[in-house]
Amino acid sequence: MAQTTTDVERHDGHTPAPAGSGAHGAEHGSEAMLTNTKLGMWMFLSSDCLFFGAFISAYLLYRGRSEEGPVPEDVYNIPFTSVTSFILLMSSLTMVLALAAIQRGDYRRLRVWLLATALFGATFIGGQIFEFTEFYREGLALDTNLFGSTFFVLTGLHGAHVTGGIIWLLSLWGLAAQGRLTSADSEKVEVAGLYWHFVDVVWIVIFTVVYLVPQ
Amino acid sequence: MADTETTGTTETTEAETTETTAPTEAEASETEVAESATTATEPGTELATRDDDAAVAGGEHAAVPLLPGGLRPHPEPLQYVLIALVLVVVTGLEVWTSYLDQVLVDGAIIALLLVFAVVKFFLVASWYMHLRTDSKIFRRFFVLGATGAITLYLVVLLTLHVFGD
Repeated sequence: MAQTTTDVERHDGHTPAPAGSGAHGAEHGSEAMLTNTKLGMWMFLSSDCLFFGAFISAYLLYRGRSEEGPVPEDVYNIPFTSVTSFILLMSSLTMVLALAAIQRGDYRRLRVWLLATALFGATFIGGQIFEFTEFYREGLALDTNLFGSTFFVLTGLHGAHVTGGIIWLLSLWGLAAQGRLTSADSEKVEVAGLYWHFVDVVWIVIFTVVYLVPQ
Repeated sequence: MADTETTGTTETTEAETTETTAPTEAEASETEVAESATTATEPGTELATRDDDAAVAGGEHAAVPLLPGGLRPHPEPLQYVLIALVLVVVTGLEVWTSYLDQVLVDGAIIALLLVFAVVKFFLVASWYMHLRTDSKIFRRFFVLGATGAITLYLVVLLTLHVFGD
């Protein structure tokens, strides 16, 4: 807590960033302090770990206990899911490049990277919809068996998170396109980025545990 | 973009020659100790002492100044790209490992996959989410949530003999 107090005091005192930190660093210097928005987002992400942990655990709990209907080996298309996972991973790169752009005051690149991130996210969701459709055609639905229930709920909730992130990113892109998102607002992009990176790290776990680990 | 980065570099160089009181990254691990020491000494004196220590320590990190609160600046875009390349390679290894069921036993495959996932998780969290440079309070919150979730659900799954079947 001592660190927290120190940070807040310095933030309130408007202590300037040390000389030599550069434009990027100086901007970060005014934004990296303990703010309610960032702290709130980190608290939300911390609680979301428990949220996703519950559904991943439910999947593991019922794995291999389906008595009828398709099982993972029947429906999984690992090469396809690997490609969509790769796309989501790359969206984290474009997201962090968007943050670096707004911190430098490079608004053209900010708009490009925000839109690229949203498009990568939309591609991931498109892949997920295609995957769900294929699974349904092969006879796996939400109520087919334990595998179907736990798989669709877990990956569907993750997809809902990604969809929410896409809407958030497009809102930021709209603000940036109207010139209403400046370097002074870089924390808005940073907080959105935290959320986006979180859904990426959750997918890193889901991809490994649900798709790649031998059944 | 190039102009901006060039300007930033110039500022850094000028600061190194004119500012003798700027804290450096060399004592990043000592930040918390230094924070408490600062309360008992005059700020100017403390900073000068820390700078002297850094000058003695030398090393490649000595030229990178800390931000207020003992924080380090965000990485440069090139570093983000390099991290992405590492993530791509690790993901490729991960997918390749999942096809080694004719070569490795399931236990070895699972162990390797978990190691790869943990590496990717930490790379994204520490570099892209800036946990390695931002305030420690954020790191503590996230570590608390993640380890709490892992511990809680591991206990549940072990209690229900999920890994024993």
